Amino acid sequence: MELLVRNLPFIMQGLAMTLGLALATLFFATIISFVLGTLATLRFDWLRVAVKVYVELFRDIPLVVNIFFVFFVAPLFGLELSPFAAVTVGLSLWGSANGVEIVRGGFNAVPRHQWQSAAALGLKTWEVYVFITGPQALRAILPPFVGLLTLLVQATSLGALVGVNEFFKVGQIIVERTTMMEGWNPAFIVYAAVLLTYFVICSALTWFGRWLEKRLKRDHRQPAPGAAPAPEPAPQLP
Amino acid sequence: MEFDVAYIEGQWPALMRGLWMTVQVSALSIVLSIVLGLLGAAARVLQIPVLGKLVAGYVEFIRNTPLLAQLFFIFYGLPGLGLRLSLFWSGVLCLTIWAGAYQIENIRGGLETVGKGLREAAFSLGLSPWRFFRLVAAPMAIRVGLPSMLNTSISLLKNSSYLQAIGLAELTYVAIDRISMDFRTIEMFAAICVIYLALVLVLSFLASRLEYRLNAPFRH
Repeated sequence: MELLVRNLPFIMQGLAMTLGLALATLFFATIISFVLGTLATLRFDWLRVAVKVYVELFRDIPLVVNIFFVFFVAPLFGLELSPFAAVTVGLSLWGSANGVEIVRGGFNAVPRHQWQSAAALGLKTWEVYVFITGPQALRAILPPFVGLLTLLVQATSLGALVGVNEFFKVGQIIVERTTMMEGWNPAFIVYAAVLLTYFVICSALTWFGRWLEKRLKRDHRQPAPGAAPAPEPAPQLP
Repeated sequence: MEFDVAYIEGQWPALMRGLWMTVQVSALSIVLSIVLGLLGAAARVLQIPVLGKLVAGYVEFIRNTPLLAQLFFIFYGLPGLGLRLSLFWSGVLCLTIWAGAYQIENIRGGLETVGKGLREAAFSLGLSPWRFFRLVAAPMAIRVGLPSMLNTSISLLKNSSYLQAIGLAELTYVAIDRISMDFRTIEMFAAICVIYLALVLVLSFLASRLEYRLNAPFRH
């Protein structure tokens, strides 16, 4: 216990680094996911195949290998990436490969007639995406995206393998330091504390995802019996 | 810097030893995690008083903590309690505990699709509970749960690469080790990426064949 209190500033730095990694990764993964995921719903077969190859490649290669790959191979092409940048790139590629499928699935969940009626009204393709199918797809996309964020937070621990001082690495360093300088091994207590902290953070995110899912579903629900009658639907063309 | 195929050929025996270790660890963990999944799912579905809740907590805990931290806790932390395992068995234990949590949910999902009405119908037709389980519940549960069980198994295979962090000489470890000696980075990564891709694609193909076979009664 005293060990944790003494190292508190160091631990906080690690947590901040983990948070930074997770946010940076989420930022890039979200952009790539939405761009590629939307492209994959367009009617170009070659585009769909290209996105599919991207997704399969980064999902099928182990994440550990992926991160080492970015870390070791980028310098060969004259790109001196810091460990932080390398991990961000590696995780973004992996995260976006998963995100693309979520986005694509979200768009597929929107009924086709929404698209057809929007197109029949003369909306341009981008208008259909931005005003009609996009908002509806978002409802299906958001909860699994929170789940993806949980996975990203967990995956940032891999930064430790290439030397980013994130939360897990800080735990490792404290164990090594204490073993060397004070002659006793606190591995059990430190790693238990590390696990618990991740558990608290990720459970909170998981819980938020579930809450969001329920919330978004509720807006779509039929009114309960006895509730005020729904407003009269606008007249429809036969 | 050019791509040297001869180098990969020279390293092939070492890569194959790493691959063999990866396959051994993964195969053992997949089998054990499915056993753990069956036991855990049974505890959840039968709603055994304390055990059911414990299993639910275990699943939540494993799913919300990083595998790497779990691995270090098992390999470096558990000796503090007097439990000292070899590299290999630490790896198997860690992967089994990790994948077991997911398998419990997969199997539970399958079992819960077997409705109460079906059970009553089977019993009123005079089936014994065991025959009901063998002829009705299990086939349905397997058909529903199998795709996600196979997915988890494939994830486990990929995640066996985490074990390089504690120094188990599996495929990724061999590659990183060679790179730090010979600096043949591109060649080595190309080699292991191709091997991992081949493993995953072959397994996915076998999985989809199996699903296809199991769905035969429902195809028109």
